[in-house]
Amino acid sequence: MLSFLRRHREPLLVCLILAHALGMFLGSSRRVREPNLVDRIAFAVTAPVQGAAVATIDGTANAWHQYVSLRNVRRENALLEEENAKLRADVVGLAEARAEIERLRRLVHYDEVSPGPKVVARVLGINPDPNRLTLRIDRGEGDGVRRGQAVVTADGVVGQVLRATASAADVLVVFDPNCRLGGRIQRTRSRVGVSGGGDEQALKLEYLLRTEDLEEGDLVVTSGTDGVYPPGLVVGRVTGVQRQTSGMFLNAGILPAVNFSRVEEVVVLAPQPAASFPTRSDSQVRR
Amino acid sequence: MKLALTLVLTLLFLALESVAVKYVGLGVARIDVTVAIVAFLSLRAGLLEGAVASYAVGYLLDLMSGRPTGLYTLLAVVTFLLGRVVGSLVDVRTARSFALFAMAADATHGLLAWGIGSVSGKQMALSGLSGLPLEVFLTGIAALILYPLLKRFGLGAERRDPGLLSP
Repeated sequence: MLSFLRRHREPLLVCLILAHALGMFLGSSRRVREPNLVDRIAFAVTAPVQGAAVATIDGTANAWHQYVSLRNVRRENALLEEENAKLRADVVGLAEARAEIERLRRLVHYDEVSPGPKVVARVLGINPDPNRLTLRIDRGEGDGVRRGQAVVTADGVVGQVLRATASAADVLVVFDPNCRLGGRIQRTRSRVGVSGGGDEQALKLEYLLRTEDLEEGDLVVTSGTDGVYPPGLVVGRVTGVQRQTSGMFLNAGILPAVNFSRVEEVVVLAPQPAASFPTRSDSQVRR
Repeated sequence: MKLALTLVLTLLFLALESVAVKYVGLGVARIDVTVAIVAFLSLRAGLLEGAVASYAVGYLLDLMSGRPTGLYTLLAVVTFLLGRVVGSLVDVRTARSFALFAMAADATHGLLAWGIGSVSGKQMALSGLSGLPLEVFLTGIAALILYPLLKRFGLGAERRDPGLLSP
């Protein structure tokens, strides 16, 4: 027996490795587990590399744009320097002021929608698994980011924090098929379900009765009933409305308001209290 | 030592790949650098050493996927073992032949991931297999670039005997 084990040591060990991997897969649940020590080390190693790569690419791109802009400005200056100097300064000043007002307006909007602490984060990368759509951001538990927090941009909903380590976090984007949120048609106030369709250009609109009023282009906002997203955040616009002759609900898609391929900065909102509805005992007390 | 080097390289490639995907915007198609590494290990590493390294590489891919289920750990070891079987039949000594080998490994890996993920219900396949051809093609290009690099780092030794199917 011992000589058999000795002779076939390598194949047996490989079988053990294979069996362990299989057991790990079969034993895993669909629920996301908390990051362990190895996860945290991997995050700690990859996040700085991703950050450095992003900084290098952005830096190079900025330098190139500045170089091109400089050349253009010089050409223009040769023609219009004296005549337009004052005007250009005014325009630059106004553009700066307008950008500042826009930023403040958006921040004020989020303060109205979701009072409480917010964390501005930068998108470091997209995960390498094509079957799970998550983004990695450069803020983690050390910055107050926790699992389940809503992640948005000024344009609308991006997703929710799937898991966080000290310095980085993964965000499940809304168009992932595993993502669900409570929505509302802004025009009619009808409550709907929104789920990911796996395509960044289309979310699924669910649970809206066939008889309900719904038009192409209707704005869908969050309803706040899912306990993750505060009410009133833009999700997208209704598209592809199909009213079947049978069945309870109509079929429609939602074109997301956020262009996911261009998301660079996001805001992580404070956790939302779950929506509370009056219970029978509450109504009895009121009576 | 080689295992540590493999892990560091894998982490580095995965980090860079995720950034590349962010900028290039490949949608749901990815470059499977980890499969290229496992394919390389299956050609040049020993049985036990390669299986352990493949397990670790797959585990890292699982971690980077945001929701580890262990599927990629299992698939990495399976791909390594299949790669060893196929590697004993063919002679892969150039970057071009390695790219073809890695493409075949990636196609197998993708099909198995889709099949097992769908059957087990633990992983939703986003676009079925529509993104697989592009993914295999991109992995082949990545393998062309990675081959001299992996050789330089000395992950495994050159095999002496030609493959059974080689002329």
